[in-house]
Amino acid sequence: MSSTAATAARSVRRLAAWADPVALRRARLTVVPRPRARAPRLPFVALVSAILLGGVIGLLMFNTSMQQAAFVENKLSVQASNLAARQQALQSDIQRLNDPQTIAAKAQAQGMVIPLDPAVLHVPDGKVDGVPTPATADNTPQLWKHQPKPTAPVAGGTSTSTKSTDKLAKQADAPKHHHKLAASAG
Amino acid sequence: MRRTEPRLDGNSDEPSRGTRRGSPSLRLRVGFVLIAMVLSAFGARLVQLQGFDPHAYAQAAEKENLVTQVLPAQRGEILDRNGEPLADSADGLMITADPSVTAKTAPALATLLANKLNLDYTSVLTDLQGKAKGAGPHFVYVARRVPAAKAKAAVAAAEAKGFKGLYTADDPIREYPAKDVAANIVGFLGTDGPLAGLEQSLNGELAGKDGKETYEVADQGTRLPLGPSTTVKPVNGTDVHLTIDRDLQWYAQRVLQQADEKSDALNGMAIVMDVKTGEVLALADDPTFDASDPSASPKADRGARSLSEVYEPGSVEKILTLSSLIDAGKVTDRTKLSVPGELHREDTVIHDWFPHGIIPFTLAGVIAQSSNIGTVLASDRFGTGQLHSYLEKFGLGQRTNVGLTGESPGILPSMSQWTHEIQDRVDFGQSVSVNALQEISAVNAVANGGVRIDPSLILGKAVTNTGQVVGTDVATSHRVVSQKAATQMMKMMERVPDPKTGTAPQTQIPGYRVAGKTGTAQRAVNGRYDGSLTVSYAGFAPADNPRFTVYVVVNDPRKGAIGGGVTAGPVWQKIMSFALRRYGVPPTNTKPSNLPTMWGKGVNHHGRP
Repeated sequence: MSSTAATAARSVRRLAAWADPVALRRARLTVVPRPRARAPRLPFVALVSAILLGGVIGLLMFNTSMQQAAFVENKLSVQASNLAARQQALQSDIQRLNDPQTIAAKAQAQGMVIPLDPAVLHVPDGKVDGVPTPATADNTPQLWKHQPKPTAPVAGGTSTSTKSTDKLAKQADAPKHHHKLAASAG
Repeated sequence: MRRTEPRLDGNSDEPSRGTRRGSPSLRLRVGFVLIAMVLSAFGARLVQLQGFDPHAYAQAAEKENLVTQVLPAQRGEILDRNGEPLADSADGLMITADPSVTAKTAPALATLLANKLNLDYTSVLTDLQGKAKGAGPHFVYVARRVPAAKAKAAVAAAEAKGFKGLYTADDPIREYPAKDVAANIVGFLGTDGPLAGLEQSLNGELAGKDGKETYEVADQGTRLPLGPSTTVKPVNGTDVHLTIDRDLQWYAQRVLQQADEKSDALNGMAIVMDVKTGEVLALADDPTFDASDPSASPKADRGARSLSEVYEPGSVEKILTLSSLIDAGKVTDRTKLSVPGELHREDTVIHDWFPHGIIPFTLAGVIAQSSNIGTVLASDRFGTGQLHSYLEKFGLGQRTNVGLTGESPGILPSMSQWTHEIQDRVDFGQSVSVNALQEISAVNAVANGGVRIDPSLILGKAVTNTGQVVGTDVATSHRVVSQKAATQMMKMMERVPDPKTGTAPQTQIPGYRVAGKTGTAQRAVNGRYDGSLTVSYAGFAPADNPRFTVYVVVNDPRKGAIGGGVTAGPVWQKIMSFALRRYGVPPTNTKPSNLPTMWGKGVNHHGRP
């Protein structure tokens, strides 16, 4: 049975080949090739390289700028510490000039004295509390010991103070009646 | 048509492709092998680094690039009550050198450094040549504690001229801008730590804690921005505010110094106290020292004698004795006494400072003329041990604990030692020892209406090295004598500066009511009286509304007139006047006390014998 069928088919095919060979070929079954949907290669390669390149360059630039910033920071911090040192030097100058001893020496050099007796002036009514007395050099202490010699001489200050000391020394010797206090327990 | 055929047949292309790239599985296999080889290499290196000797590598890396820097904590400042600095810290640098490098150019470099830094040429030269004591082959100190600006400028100048081998490092400076002013309180810092005063006793508050920073550096020492770094921030020290008024302290020190010099005294002390608060506004010692150059003064002068030295207070003690007696209700300011010229007691004969027959003194007269005999006679009315407990309440025999180390508690004979003979002497300030701050605090109790306030040197509070909390915040007060007794005492003390009745006319301040008491005591040296004296004056003003108590002590004056009034009095008067003026204290404009100093017929009740 089958051989007859096969023979029949073969004869049909022969006939068909004779009648229309192209149609016969079309009718034959073959393996269809896998469809290859190929994306164009160039844009992809370009993109990847661009990203890579961009990344590398970006990183490089970032790093460079960080380093640059570090250099600038270094330089500025040196400058800042220099300025801080200068500020401190100036501040200690101010402190030195503000020292009561320095001020007193300068004031004495200009002939200023510390007043003797306190008195209070009430500004609203001009009334004076206390006994106002003219200021003399008596209350102005000498600024340095006689021995040892002054360590920080200030122009004029020493001579003024020496003068006032001499005056005080003379006064001290004057009140003789107090001498008996020396005897014993006062 | 035929030519298209092989193209459509996929199998016909395969063999030619295979020759160029091989099969995918083969490629994959080769790839894996390559990757495995590279990874094994990494793995082997990892095991080598981490497994065999990780520490050596880590240390090597650290040594190469990691830098650790100490971040110095800033030491707290010591300021006066107005915020004026008495001690502050500044950035300083030490300049060090590598003698192996600097030796060749030593003379030229030494000249430059000596000029820039104000140093001694020869010592700099020996340093740079490496011949100085303590110099290593590669290290020597050239200068220490140089102000940062100065050191940087000097090193920069040296480098600009091509000198090499100089280095700088942090070396903070402690500055004492007021030099000797309050140096006895502030103390000073030695090269290796605090050596005296509050610098020492409050070191825990002032010092702070150094921090530390570790970071990675590039070749030239530039810090790597993203490198590993750790920072421990420094904790700066706390500032300490004193109750001291710098200008008043300065004035007190200079006036005291002048007085000591004039009378050729061994030493002196002057204290100014705010009556109401117990704050010490000035605490002067003479001789003292320059805190910025302590080694220039002998060691004995580098402390506060006003706290460390005890002495017998003499007649100033009578303020305490007689106010206690009034408080005990045994006498009043008008109590009449007959005071003989000498008083024979168990083991001694008591004299007054001037020879006299029987004088009809009132109690006010006893104070005004400072009669030892009158005081002892009146004090006989004390019950047993009564005076002792009063003096204890006045704070005698106990440290004031203001925050300075080395304070002596003084000597108040204990109750077991207390005898009648001892009490006789304690009455007028013998056989009892005090330090000056104790004594002024006791007198201040009378000025403050009978309430004793703990003296303070520190505004707010601070903790000392021994864990004691000190300062105005923790100062306590307690009543010692009644307001009435204090007022009567004040009125009696007002008779002292009165030239008609008292012993210290030098202490008058025109327009103001002042109250005070002289003291002249024999100095106990090595356990016996050697004939030298301690003269003093304690008092307060304005008498009826006191603002300040001032106490002046001059030890062993040897020249000119000597006595509480004549030696210490003028110092007291000057310091008190200065304080009243500086704080704008107006006179009270009330009538001064006119207590009778003597009684009976035929004598001037408001006069002196």
